[in-house]
Amino acid sequence: MFKKFGALCLALFSAACSAPDAIYVSGSSTVLPPVSKAAEKFSAETGISVIVNAGGSGGGFNQLAEGQSDIGMMSRNITSGELEAFKTINFTEVAIGRDAVVPSISSEIYEAGVTLLSISQIADIYTGDIRNWSEVGGPDRDIFVIDKEANRGTRQVFMDVVLGDPKAEAAGADLVTGSNNEEQTALVQSNAGIGMLSVAWLNDDVRGLAIVLPNGKTIEPSIENIRAGTYPFVRDLNVVKRSDLKPSANQFITYLLGPDGQKLVEESGYIGIAN
Amino acid sequence: MSRTFNIRYAKERGFAFIMRLSLLICAGILTFLLVSIFVKGIGAISLEFLFTSAREFGRSGGIIYQLLGSLLMVLVAILIVVPVAVGTSLFQYAFNTKKGIAYLLEQSLYALNAIPSITYGIFGLIFFVNVLNTGISWFVGSIILAIMMLPTVTLSTYQAMTAIPKIYQENAAALGLKKSQIIRRVTLPQSLQGIVTGSLIGLARAIGETAPIMFIATAFSGVSVPRSLAEPVSTLPTHILELAQQSTDPQALQNAWGASLVLILLVSAFSLLALFARSYLRRQGRK
Amino acid sequence: MRSLRGLRKLQGLRLYALACGTVSLTIVFTIIATLFLQSLPVLMAENTNLMGTHWNPGKGQFGILPMLFGSLFVMSIAVAVAFPLGLLAAIYIAETRSSKLRRVLKSFLELLAGIPSIVYGLIGVAYLNIWVADLFDLQSGRVILTAGILLGIMILPTFLTLTEDAISAVPVKFRENAKSLGLYRHEVFFSIILPQAKTGIAGAGLLALGRALGETMAVMLVIGSLDRLPKPLLNPLSSGQTITSKLGREVPESAFGSVHFSALVFMSLIIVCITVTLTIVSRYLFRKTGADV
Repeated sequence: MFKKFGALCLALFSAACSAPDAIYVSGSSTVLPPVSKAAEKFSAETGISVIVNAGGSGGGFNQLAEGQSDIGMMSRNITSGELEAFKTINFTEVAIGRDAVVPSISSEIYEAGVTLLSISQIADIYTGDIRNWSEVGGPDRDIFVIDKEANRGTRQVFMDVVLGDPKAEAAGADLVTGSNNEEQTALVQSNAGIGMLSVAWLNDDVRGLAIVLPNGKTIEPSIENIRAGTYPFVRDLNVVKRSDLKPSANQFITYLLGPDGQKLVEESGYIGIAN
Repeated sequence: MSRTFNIRYAKERGFAFIMRLSLLICAGILTFLLVSIFVKGIGAISLEFLFTSAREFGRSGGIIYQLLGSLLMVLVAILIVVPVAVGTSLFQYAFNTKKGIAYLLEQSLYALNAIPSITYGIFGLIFFVNVLNTGISWFVGSIILAIMMLPTVTLSTYQAMTAIPKIYQENAAALGLKKSQIIRRVTLPQSLQGIVTGSLIGLARAIGETAPIMFIATAFSGVSVPRSLAEPVSTLPTHILELAQQSTDPQALQNAWGASLVLILLVSAFSLLALFARSYLRRQGRK
Repeated sequence: MRSLRGLRKLQGLRLYALACGTVSLTIVFTIIATLFLQSLPVLMAENTNLMGTHWNPGKGQFGILPMLFGSLFVMSIAVAVAFPLGLLAAIYIAETRSSKLRRVLKSFLELLAGIPSIVYGLIGVAYLNIWVADLFDLQSGRVILTAGILLGIMILPTFLTLTEDAISAVPVKFRENAKSLGLYRHEVFFSIILPQAKTGIAGAGLLALGRALGETMAVMLVIGSLDRLPKPLLNPLSSGQTITSKLGREVPESAFGSVHFSALVFMSLIIVCITVTLTIVSRYLFRKTGADV
């Protein structure tokens, strides 16, 4: 009985000695859709397995820096604080696409007339100074403010534009969500909500606001404005690598930047880098 | 006097009523749980669901790799925990003489049982993934699950050992068997029932666990069958977690119910096997 | 020759058993020591406001009070849901004369106790969230109340089973004597059974409490993740945060070795200390039940 058991263990352990060159990618839930689809196609074509995980931009960076992943996905740029914490490592950001964080509201409010807001109005909503939709031209309903987890790239981009500080606290927040999926769910289920979503997640129930600039101009969250960079919340979708990248991972990044990869980026609702 | 009688009687009727009501509420809630999981889940299950891989973040396709990942991790975990549990029970039963150590060991096992599952995940993250630098690995997940199962399997084995009628051992000793032989021919075979029952109960719990393994052993997509020890796998519970966060998408939700039903069927299967093992092996052992 | 081989085999077995015993003994201490060591950075760092109400890792603020309060609040609601229902239903089941029915009910309860927590989380997201939102006219059902009710339903089968065991453990003759004296059922329970069974019931309660505190998955999906004390303080219709939910969401996002990570481990250590203490006390109570009768 013990001999058979020992043989089984030995067999399992010998399997440990084989080290495949699987690529491990983790990070932003915004960058996840195109990368995940590309991973499937890439694996099918080259036979190299690509393992993809979510967890947020911050988590993606941490895993990359600690050597637990090969490629990090971030929907924002690396902060100076993060670079400080890992001074010895050389990171390179590679933009594989572009999208925008759109202040989004429940369709009921949008259809009631609130289709645009200024940055300072959004700031006041998130700090709790504006509490009712009627104060910004909407129906008489309390604003349901949906915030995001602090380490999410989407939030950091949003807060950087709205409150000038990517790590700002939102004193007026009523709910905190994680991934884009969760945020979208929360907005769909409410009828007076405001949140921050990547442009690819907007739909009939969750509408994107246009931004009124101080000079009076209105910028819609349309593909043209995002491509041109005029919408205030535009950001690059990055994959991040270390200098000691394994060749198969480099191959995958090249794939992402190539025509097949870029097609998947656009199919996911984002804008390819060529534009 | 009749007024006192009435108050007592009223209290009695009232008490009986709220008791029945409570039972009804409990039964109602708990039946609702099982029925809804079953009804919603059955719609998603098909041969295709069970045997193809997930696509589009699990919105379409099936759960084959999640199923394999879950089974792999828990079965390997059993292989890890059974020798340690049997050895520990043996230690308590046959080799340990100090009362203090025995007490400490028993308390340690109960303390281990009390640790929340998320803490196991954090421990695994610190100790294995970072300090020992194993990276994200399904094998580390199995080790952590094995630690979680240790109290259950050990206690079950120990109970079986202490339940062996002393007469068996006395007979064996009278026949001239050495202690090592007594252990190998009497103690271990007779406690098989405890080992198997404890393992199945442990399996039933381990396969449903999400928190211990979500940091250290699992990945969302791209994993099929792991080719080494240092790779992540997909599992049913983490898959359900991912799908639950897309709850407004009816397709994703449907698949989440399907995966949940499969998971519960597995848990029930292990639990039922444990029940049968207990009675069958007990009968076998007494022959 | 034979005795030498036998001795060696025995030595082998002894070594094996000793090794296993040592491993089992040291695992729990290793876990706690690891948690403690990893908590040190945040305990020794300055200006973290550890016992404050502000949690903002980006600015070095690690106030754990909102999470601690959330855990206790959710646990209280869970207990308020599960204990009365469980106790009353347990009394009723214990009084059931048909032992076959009792066995069926107990197996059913065991089945329910085995439902994985993530499935409860799914039920919370798919049903309870929506019902609470509709019932109280909220924008989102992801509030403390939902988490509390969900948790209460989770611990209900376990608490019911254990309480029923405690009540049934009281010998039948007490009950029969009381009934022959003409006492009503509720009087039988409060005057005769409860005093006998109360340590067992208390043990069951503490165990259920421990489970409620340590539960992550179900709570994480329905609590709303708002790191703030509710306004007003005892408002269950606001979103909140528990320690376990925070851990589940933020551990993957924090850098290992950072003060942030250390603060999370510290919170985990607090929960472990509480749950281990609850278990040890409940075991002591269970042991006492055996001795009393």
